[in-house]
Amino acid sequence: MASQETEETRQILSRTALSFPSPRVVHDLLSVGVCPRCIFRLFGVHGQAYCCSAITASVLQSFLEEQKSCDNGTAKNGLVSDGLVRCSYTSQESENGQAYCCICLGVLQLACEQDQEMMTTSKDGSIDDFTATIAELVKRENHHIDGFSIEVSIPPVIVANERAIWMYMNKKYKCEEWFKDKIPSQHISVKDALRLSINTSLENHLGVKSGVDSFRFRLNYSHLDASRMLQSSLANDRTCKKQKTDKKDSGDSLDDSHKSNLKNSNEHLRSESDAVILRTLESMLDHAFCEHFVIPPEKALKPCQLTTTCYRMPIYIGGRYLKFSRKVSQSRWIIDDERMGEASVEEIVGSNALLVCKGDNYKFHAAGREDIDVRMLGSGRPFLVEVSNARYMPSMIDVQLIVEKINNSDKKYVRVRNLKVVNSQAWTLMREGEAEKQKQYAALVWISRALTEEDLHNISSRKDLDIIQRTPIRVLHRRSPLERKKIIHWMKIERIAGSCQYFLLHLCTQAGTYIKEFVHGDLGRTHPSIGAILGCRAEILQLDVTDVKMDFFD
Amino acid sequence: MEESKEDETLERDSLETVEKKEEAGEDLRSLLLPDIKDLPPIPPSAVESNFVRYFAADFMKPGHDQYVYRHANGLCVIGLAPTHVALREKGGVTAVDYNVGKSDRSEMKVTGKRKRNAQHFESNSALCKVCANGTFYVVRCCVKGSLLEVNDRLIKQPDLLNSSADREGYIAIIMPKPADWLKIKDSLLSHEDYRKLRGL
Repeated sequence: MASQETEETRQILSRTALSFPSPRVVHDLLSVGVCPRCIFRLFGVHGQAYCCSAITASVLQSFLEEQKSCDNGTAKNGLVSDGLVRCSYTSQESENGQAYCCICLGVLQLACEQDQEMMTTSKDGSIDDFTATIAELVKRENHHIDGFSIEVSIPPVIVANERAIWMYMNKKYKCEEWFKDKIPSQHISVKDALRLSINTSLENHLGVKSGVDSFRFRLNYSHLDASRMLQSSLANDRTCKKQKTDKKDSGDSLDDSHKSNLKNSNEHLRSESDAVILRTLESMLDHAFCEHFVIPPEKALKPCQLTTTCYRMPIYIGGRYLKFSRKVSQSRWIIDDERMGEASVEEIVGSNALLVCKGDNYKFHAAGREDIDVRMLGSGRPFLVEVSNARYMPSMIDVQLIVEKINNSDKKYVRVRNLKVVNSQAWTLMREGEAEKQKQYAALVWISRALTEEDLHNISSRKDLDIIQRTPIRVLHRRSPLERKKIIHWMKIERIAGSCQYFLLHLCTQAGTYIKEFVHGDLGRTHPSIGAILGCRAEILQLDVTDVKMDFFD
Repeated sequence: MEESKEDETLERDSLETVEKKEEAGEDLRSLLLPDIKDLPPIPPSAVESNFVRYFAADFMKPGHDQYVYRHANGLCVIGLAPTHVALREKGGVTAVDYNVGKSDRSEMKVTGKRKRNAQHFESNSALCKVCANGTFYVVRCCVKGSLLEVNDRLIKQPDLLNSSADREGYIAIIMPKPADWLKIKDSLLSHEDYRKLRGL
């Protein structure tokens, strides 16, 4: 019971203490305001120590005092033990003090503010209570998960605090043996320590394992006051630097410019991202750091604010679609609040996928596109739907349900085939070599004279015909005026019974070829065109895509 | 010959696939073939379907009839109308020169989606000179806007103006600002009004 727990705790602490240089150092850090978990981090402790809720600052303190009395005055490194006199940290302070860890600002103490309410009132929060709140989110959002991973975001000021503690230790212990071998990279990061602390407990609440990337909890910590102080410290550093370079340039008095610089820097820094701040800190030399930062860092009177969210990484559903209507565009097309066309493939496919997966949003990606008045027939065009924050991973039955909803709808505009869940690499694969893929079409063509047998032969004998297309007039308003070389791989004329001037033109072309312009010539800007080849006027009435040659979702 | 059960199944499966493919092919063909009844004897041309045709009669000079084909996207194709006096000359058009006064219009190179380096012209700016039967006729923009393209094929093949001034013999492509188009639109004739005016 209680004594067993205490026994376990003691064992954990004993193992942990092996990493400590001496109890005196740990005392000192505790008195400066570093929390136990941050102390563990600084000395490279791993394992159970982090998820033991029982280890509070006072418990650690008592354990160290016990150790000291056992050691009986003989300390490491031959130095005379300081005894307890030097230690200004008393157990009273640990219970009644309102300060939070001077490095992690309460993050590793699991003390934070969430939506104006304090998550924990004591400085050393229970791990289980903390993770219970996080686990609640899953139920509230109706997520069904197989695992999770934890994403942590902490304010850059914590990095500055850690460096300040490092500088403090450097000042105090740089002559001691144990410190000489120590390097900052041995520290465990706050983020990793937090994960070590709460992973197992969260696994128990949710009944699934951690380390699964597809579902994430995001713990977003912020601390307005501390961040503001960091910004003013950085601003001071910046003005000092500017003063130094200005002094180099001119010997004038810089009082006025100093004031304006300070103002500018402050405003500038307010909008700087975390990444920029971290870079600035990293590039700052030690002596500059010591000049502008408080060493050791001040204890925090308020903990961080925490916002927790959870989400599933996007899932991808891919397949091929066919479009049977000449009034349906591929993507959603709305001008001035008015929809062009009767529907879109994007919305028909995307909305059904979203419905079945119970996601927040969808994005539609296709391998190329066709005009609204062009049908997509044959084996169909490869596409991907990206569903964000799906509430659960769709099974094969769910995917089949999506197929049915689309294919059996009463309008019959669109069909999908070979639909299945794919991974995120599918997007890259689909885009790869898109420019090389060949497409096959069937066009309904009219010419200004009667078709002859010679024409049929003339057309079908041309293989890999080179043509040059200037940017078609119909897209010239939004595309660059260029001349594009394209290849028509083969063509075949199919006569239409009952007509001598209409025929079906089957052709296979390089990706990116404008077929309509190849038929009517676009006022001579596509050359050669069908009209030019046959020596008469040619017009196109209808176009259908009959094959998109890709080994993708085939 | 004895065939194992597996071979039989494989053969049957591949036969089914072939049959399925043939069926799909048949379905496709039936979708592609049009109904003859629906086909008009002469379909509308690409120009008729995609542009609205406007005309400027006697633009700045009598007999200088030009067309302005406006696309739904706002671009305007400029050219000589069939009743242009140059097309009536003996021997037709024999030369086209884009070098008009200040610059050679065929030298300009417009680049980029935004076409920022395109030159701006007024409606009465000169585009080119066409020579017919020894006389030079000036062709003008008719529309205020940026000059996107000139039909430089006319330089080597001026005869295009005689064979198809209304299509391959176009003169230039201009992009007017929406406001500028609205100002000039009402001074242009519709296709019908132009035909009535010229008694076609």
